[in-house]
Amino acid sequence: MTTQPDIDALIRKTRQYEFVDGLRDLQMAAIMAIMGAFAWFSLTLARMHWYVRLILYLKDTFGSWARWINGLVYLLILFAVLGGSLWIMRVLRRKWLWRESGWVKPVRWQVPRRITVLSAVIMLGGIVLGLILLSAGKVDMSFVLRMLWTATGWGFGYTLIGMGREIGLIRYVWLGAFGGLASTAVLFLPLTFGQTAIVIYGAWTLALGISGAIVLRRASTAIRQANHG
Amino acid sequence: MADEYKQITNFDRLIHEPSRLAIMAVLSACESADFTFLLNATGLSKGNLSAHLSKLRDAGYVSIIKGFRGNYPHTTCALTKDGHRAFDAYRKQYLALAQHLKK
Repeated sequence: MTTQPDIDALIRKTRQYEFVDGLRDLQMAAIMAIMGAFAWFSLTLARMHWYVRLILYLKDTFGSWARWINGLVYLLILFAVLGGSLWIMRVLRRKWLWRESGWVKPVRWQVPRRITVLSAVIMLGGIVLGLILLSAGKVDMSFVLRMLWTATGWGFGYTLIGMGREIGLIRYVWLGAFGGLASTAVLFLPLTFGQTAIVIYGAWTLALGISGAIVLRRASTAIRQANHG
Repeated sequence: MADEYKQITNFDRLIHEPSRLAIMAVLSACESADFTFLLNATGLSKGNLSAHLSKLRDAGYVSIIKGFRGNYPHTTCALTKDGHRAFDAYRKQYLALAQHLKK
């Protein structure tokens, strides 16, 4: 190597490496699906007599803290899905996707702090906007409740857009824009709080799942061609 | 002009060498990378990469961990704190000089 290398390109390529096999998208899709399932369960379980009886029994037996036991179960499942998906990703990469191209331990936070802070501001801004509109009498309470999910969608969408721009992966910009728009559209549909959660998580799961599947297919084709070429 | 010369001579020569600069750039963008990834990313030969890594390790910029993955030897490299500091300083200097030359 005699000429100066393109430092920015090398840095960008290394940071992109974690995302070029689509597994991160699929992991995010799995988490969104779990969150959607939680929302669905919370809606339907509350109407099931056996579930109400179980919670009351737990409360009578162990005290009032037992009411939060279902929240604890949700958390445990979420951590299990997170840990499990990380393990699956590691195995797939070691044995297949990264076997020839090498192993990289990515930096812990790919998203710069300013983007994380701004996405939190966007989320809070959405909620505040909903409350202002409510106090002005322009909207009803169900709008404000839907706004909670919409604002969450805006925040996550902005995070994806920021990350996509930062590491030069345009698909995250599109995904973020799609998620932001879908979250806004949901705001104007006649849905309840729970239904909105299910629709939003479903939309994110679908978008991230399709994106991950396409990228993974592309990566697997490239590996196959490299092995045969 | 004298100022520019001074800036050029102030560059960390160890990092300024193109192959080592490429290695430092790759390692600065991750927590660690293995030898195979560095080979693919920099396009260096095994011998060259090994020699440059040794120089960077001797300067305290890179840590190298040699182990086994299954039955195969596996080498993992990472930038040390000094390495990160030196690379950041080099980049700042390089960008400042590039901007100065543009004017």
